[in-house]
Amino acid sequence: MILPLLLVALVQAPQRTIAIDERLAVDAKLAVGDKVILSAATPASPTGDTVIVGAIVKRSTDPAEVARSEIRIRLHLDHLQSLAAYGDRVDRFAVATRGEAATEQAIDVINSAAFGFQAHRSKDIAVATSKTFQVVSRFHKAIGVITIVASAIFLLCIMLLKVEERRRDVAALRLMGISRQSVMRAVVIEAALLALVGSGLGVGVGWVGSQFVNWYFRGVYRTPLAFSVVTPSIVTLAVVLSLVLGIAAGFLASLRLVRTPPLILFGR
Amino acid sequence: MPFTLAWASLRRHGTRTLLAMLGVAVAAAMLLDMVMMSTGMRESFRRLLVSRGFQLRLAPKGTLPFDTDATIKHTRRALVQLRRNPDLTAVSAVLGGTIHVPRNGRVITSSALGLDPRVQGDYELLAGTDPIAPNAIVGNEEFIRETGTRIGDTLTVATGYDSQTREYLGSRTFVLTGRVRFLYGAARQRAAAMPLETMWKMSGRDRQDEASLFMIRVREGVNLDSAIQWIKMQNLNSTVISTESALAQIDERLRYFRQLAVILGIVSLFVGFLLVTTLITVSVNERVGEIAVMRALGVSRSHIVEQIVLEGMAISLVGAFAGLLLGLVTGRYLNGILSSFPGLPEAIDFFLFQPKAAWTALGLLALSGIAAGVYPSLRASSLPIATTLRQEAIA
Repeated sequence: MILPLLLVALVQAPQRTIAIDERLAVDAKLAVGDKVILSAATPASPTGDTVIVGAIVKRSTDPAEVARSEIRIRLHLDHLQSLAAYGDRVDRFAVATRGEAATEQAIDVINSAAFGFQAHRSKDIAVATSKTFQVVSRFHKAIGVITIVASAIFLLCIMLLKVEERRRDVAALRLMGISRQSVMRAVVIEAALLALVGSGLGVGVGWVGSQFVNWYFRGVYRTPLAFSVVTPSIVTLAVVLSLVLGIAAGFLASLRLVRTPPLILFGR
Repeated sequence: MPFTLAWASLRRHGTRTLLAMLGVAVAAAMLLDMVMMSTGMRESFRRLLVSRGFQLRLAPKGTLPFDTDATIKHTRRALVQLRRNPDLTAVSAVLGGTIHVPRNGRVITSSALGLDPRVQGDYELLAGTDPIAPNAIVGNEEFIRETGTRIGDTLTVATGYDSQTREYLGSRTFVLTGRVRFLYGAARQRAAAMPLETMWKMSGRDRQDEASLFMIRVREGVNLDSAIQWIKMQNLNSTVISTESALAQIDERLRYFRQLAVILGIVSLFVGFLLVTTLITVSVNERVGEIAVMRALGVSRSHIVEQIVLEGMAISLVGAFAGLLLGLVTGRYLNGILSSFPGLPEAIDFFLFQPKAAWTALGLLALSGIAAGVYPSLRASSLPIATTLRQEAIA
């Protein structure tokens, strides 16, 4: 449970211990063993409990907290209840079960028998509270699609230029009797190699970029959360997509070339 | 003449030119979207904040309005204190909460605001009248649709649910007096508003005389800082938020999107630049012979540079203009995705079109087009004429 925290002054006679997060420890220059006053009141009437910082805990990796620069402390339940005049109430219970079947059974029992309780699966709550990230994910995917379109055009353009650069070579090959299929195959293989090497380089650049993004945003938001992850499936998708685009671009460019008579390619 | 030659050169390789323009158009669309995103969120939020003329907001100490369930206590006393200052022309106390409307065998849950309809700045009345009477309530389109009511209908509304007895609390009968649009409401969010006094009565002792927010309109010409200082001296256990400080907080929270916009904008610009540079370089390489002939005929170096730079600019500008149109379409699509952020006011646009954004994108692309043509044109203009002609003849 969270309580807006007011650090007023160091005083004597600590009664209870609290755990604070790293961010608060750094900002307020607190260390384990320091004494602080916790109060739910205003600075004008700083009545509260003197407590000892018993532990400094790592910031949670909950993405929902990332953009909020909140500080958090953890108290013993009864301590917070008395401090906040909350009575014998809690916001929620966390229940551990022995597996999926036991979870289902527990949910049924609680929802049918318990008075005024509603049990939810943790994963359902996670889905409900992660809508923000679903939106961000959809946004990233849309940006990804635009990037793919731009890359496809870029690749096609480059392949067209590369193929056109060798008009005379292709004309000579054709006049020597090399078939259209062979010329096309050669161009497509070249395009595929180009795409493969390019995607390999891209994966490297992407990995470095991902490291930078994590380093930068972890510093900005002071969280251990991973903002960018390069997974094997992402690498596979990037390489396959690049290959498909490369082959398609090579095919289209070579098709245009082999359809032109060799003498015209020579400029005669 | 440089225009004619540049045009002829671009037309000679029509497919290539078209593809390059298409590539630049996609890059320009992305660039425009990113410029719109980097400035649009802030501007859109600013417009929303000042739309009803309230320059200051008081939120529970250390929070942003409606960011937590925290409230400001002793609202009546605070209202009297604040209204005593003649520089504060309007003070609106707002309490946020949840209401339950049992209707046709099901219960519709909606967010609700308790406010003073005479000075409120939270909604815009679309039909009917403000909820002036104690039993009056107004709702937005979603609320009215879900509850299946019409203006003039009565409905039972409860403000709480006792989990122990499984009974709704603070139940009361209301008359729906109007249809409104909540300025700060999220998309597809059901919302209603009723008089603040009524909400207090329904909420029981828990939230009696409390407010989630005060909105304050300051007389024109009065220094905002002095008004803020005066409010702070009233010891209302609240944080005074000016439009500027609210924008700063939003900037902080949406920093990720601004930074993403800058990064993607730079990448788009670079991709566009690279595409045009590649194309112009290859194009120049292909016609070194032609250029050497032109130089041999007496065409000046500056003329050659001008022609090649014009080619780059033409590709960039045509692509950029097409990209601006494409950018508006993609911006609208991306805005549709981001506007479904939970809790974000529907009126906020991430991609707000501003002429300045379009000019910025266009200007940057024009500059990149010029820059793309500089190197190949300098290289072409400095070709040794005799050697090049000889090599071309041998080839």
